[in-house]
Amino acid sequence: MQLIINGLVIGSIIALTAIGLSMIYKTLNFVNFAHGDFVAFAAYIALLTNVALGMNLAVAFAVAILATVALGVVVEKLVWMPMRRKNATQTTLIIISIGLALVLRNILIFVWGGDTQSYNIPVRRGFDFFGAVITPNQILVIVTAFFLMFLLHHLLSRTKIGKAMRALSDNVDLARISGIDTDRVILRTWVIGLGLAAAGGVLYGLVTAIRPSMGWFLLLPMFAAVILGGIGNPYGTIAGGMVIGLSQELSTAVLPTEYKFAVSFIVMTIVLLIKPEGIFGWVR
Amino acid sequence: MTGLTGSAGCFDAILPYIVTILLISSIYAIFALGLNLEWGFTGLLNFGHVAFFAIGAYTTVLLDLWGCPLVLSIIAGVALAGFFGFLLGIPTLRLRADYLAIVTIGFSEVLRFILLNEEWLTRGPFGVYGFERPFQDVIPYQYYNTFLLILYVAILVAIYASLERLMHSPWGRVLKSIREDESVPSALGKNVFWYKIQSLMLGSAIAGLAGALLAFYLQYVSPATFKPIETFHAWIIIILGGTASNRGTIVGALILWTFFSGTKFISRLVPLESHQMGAFRMIVIGLLLMLLMMYKPEGIFGKKEELALSD
Amino acid sequence: MILEVEGVVSGYTDLDILNSVSMCIRTGEIVSIIGPNGSGKSTLMKTVFGLLRPRSGKIIFKGEDITGIAPDTIVKKGMGYVPQDKEFFPSLTVLENLEMGAFIRNDDISGSLEWVYRIFPVLEEKSQIRAGSLSGGEQRMVGIGRALMLSPDLLLLDEPSAGLAPLMRDMMFEKLIEINDAGTSIAIVEQNAVRSLAISDRGYVLETGRNRFEGRGADILGNEDVLRLYLGG
Repeated sequence: MQLIINGLVIGSIIALTAIGLSMIYKTLNFVNFAHGDFVAFAAYIALLTNVALGMNLAVAFAVAILATVALGVVVEKLVWMPMRRKNATQTTLIIISIGLALVLRNILIFVWGGDTQSYNIPVRRGFDFFGAVITPNQILVIVTAFFLMFLLHHLLSRTKIGKAMRALSDNVDLARISGIDTDRVILRTWVIGLGLAAAGGVLYGLVTAIRPSMGWFLLLPMFAAVILGGIGNPYGTIAGGMVIGLSQELSTAVLPTEYKFAVSFIVMTIVLLIKPEGIFGWVR
Repeated sequence: MTGLTGSAGCFDAILPYIVTILLISSIYAIFALGLNLEWGFTGLLNFGHVAFFAIGAYTTVLLDLWGCPLVLSIIAGVALAGFFGFLLGIPTLRLRADYLAIVTIGFSEVLRFILLNEEWLTRGPFGVYGFERPFQDVIPYQYYNTFLLILYVAILVAIYASLERLMHSPWGRVLKSIREDESVPSALGKNVFWYKIQSLMLGSAIAGLAGALLAFYLQYVSPATFKPIETFHAWIIIILGGTASNRGTIVGALILWTFFSGTKFISRLVPLESHQMGAFRMIVIGLLLMLLMMYKPEGIFGKKEELALSD
Repeated sequence: MILEVEGVVSGYTDLDILNSVSMCIRTGEIVSIIGPNGSGKSTLMKTVFGLLRPRSGKIIFKGEDITGIAPDTIVKKGMGYVPQDKEFFPSLTVLENLEMGAFIRNDDISGSLEWVYRIFPVLEEKSQIRAGSLSGGEQRMVGIGRALMLSPDLLLLDEPSAGLAPLMRDMMFEKLIEINDAGTSIAIVEQNAVRSLAISDRGYVLETGRNRFEGRGADILGNEDVLRLYLGG
């Protein structure tokens, strides 16, 4: 039971952060290796607002999302958009993203050092829940994550810009032919995707130690969730994130905890071997 | 610096330093030549090259410690690195190019966890030392690094020459055509998947050899020796030198390590803490990677014609 | 005259496909562009729609020079284009596909929707179904319906009958006549030249990127050279 709770918590964080990775992956046809470092960046901005500036965590949450999205918009304008104009290949974009990942992570190390840190919030006792312990922070993570996923669902299925995002991730050329301003929709996709990643990053900081490599270590589970869910399918990614989170935690019942991380690698490799297009294609 | 004795003293102090730079450069040149075969000539995105570096190093030193003759240990290390290249190629090389990147980077991290945690095999975080080095009984200690340098440069030249010959062979031409446009060799009846596997195996085996050489130089290997950043050192080396240029790769390795040693000097002059200096170096590496790919994808010394610019 | 193409040279980075093609479409016409594989039919259509930039020549739409203008601007001027494949958004519902066709409109789209549903009633029936799970013919209808949502003055269709069952193909050509009757000029690129010319006012025959023959549909069908060379007769 305890493992299931932990799995749901980490699963909702993986799901939340991986959605943006998945949407950008499909829309721009490249896998953004810097995505995890945006997650860590958000946690650090929240840390800065919460600890150094003494604001409460709700304010820090908002500031972190805004700052991360702003950074993403700057990178889109300075890097990704010009590279699209040049018709850069997928591999070129991937290598640039890994360079960006190095820059971002090491800026965090440069400014805050490599040590682990945590938010300045009161430690509260957990509740007893069917024989397991669930902490208020864990409840906060799950509730916020599901609320944000619900908002995303509303955006994607009810609003014009959300539908256009899905259209772009289906077929960019056809979107352009239909007269859709693809640059604008791509920018919105970055905003939504990185906004969710930032939210996930701040929440992640609630249940784990904040350190510069936290996003990097989240990258592999996120990839696994994206591949499991089928690239570009946000609902599949959510399902994939949950599966990865749960299997990571449940694996600790039989494997040393150090190998949690390897679970996503193994799941991902198996999926690539048997069904590379993802196993949650039907979840729409 | 005053007078002759001063400058001679200075020279004496600098010479081992230069030998060290050249040694590390030659190890990394070999390491990067393996990646250049995969990426530069075949277009494979291997983001976990360091894993094969580690496999080569650990296999060699562990077998040696268990009493296996040194030459056999090295051969086993090289072979095992190649074998893992084969294993990783199977699920990924039939699929989109980026899956290889994801799986290899994941593998390199998982491997590092294994090195850290399976202490019965790898001795865990403290690493492995006390293993034999080639001809250590014959060469006097004070000349040992100079000996290694000569040995490594000879190996580097041999690998360079073989790769150059290989790239101009029919096999090499198939690899290049895969890089340009897979559908062409495929239409000519070539088994593209198998060629890619071979390229990945050979590149990984070369990385394995470089790993053994690194172990002999360091006299010590630990999981911290094989962080993901080492992979990107190799990337920056080949991109600096010009993708698909073996000569450029060697030059790139020299530039990178000269730059690194330069920053070590500078770090004594600027008031930065050591973690900041390390982070600063990585920021430079990351920015360089981005800027080169954005504005000069053919590299500083590369030929534009050698680069496939379109998908 | 809704469209004039004058001496257009175009193609891909290192390869000219169109060596010099001229053609025109009068307002209200259906015009077929036919020719063997590699003759440049699809390239011509992509160039007109701004997906390829012509190396030389001129394209005039409704009296305005649109040479080298991007597709998203051309759409706004009243030209629609249905590509040969991937002509729909598979994970969107039929209705959402049509809404995407009208993305640039900020007014009420129910009138256009009604019109598309009148032409293709099956789309209304299946409006909530994902386009990816429709049959090939229905997907083609979604593609054409999407382009009709902006009520274009000129509709470019790249191989609208390709891959369809004979019955569906006949229906598709009838629908094109219906769309044309409502005031939309149509240009069709077709392999299936006989059926296409039969509903066309005029036709152009291309060969290796040049005009080879032009005339009324019936004249082309009656021309022995054309029959022998391009229609496999």
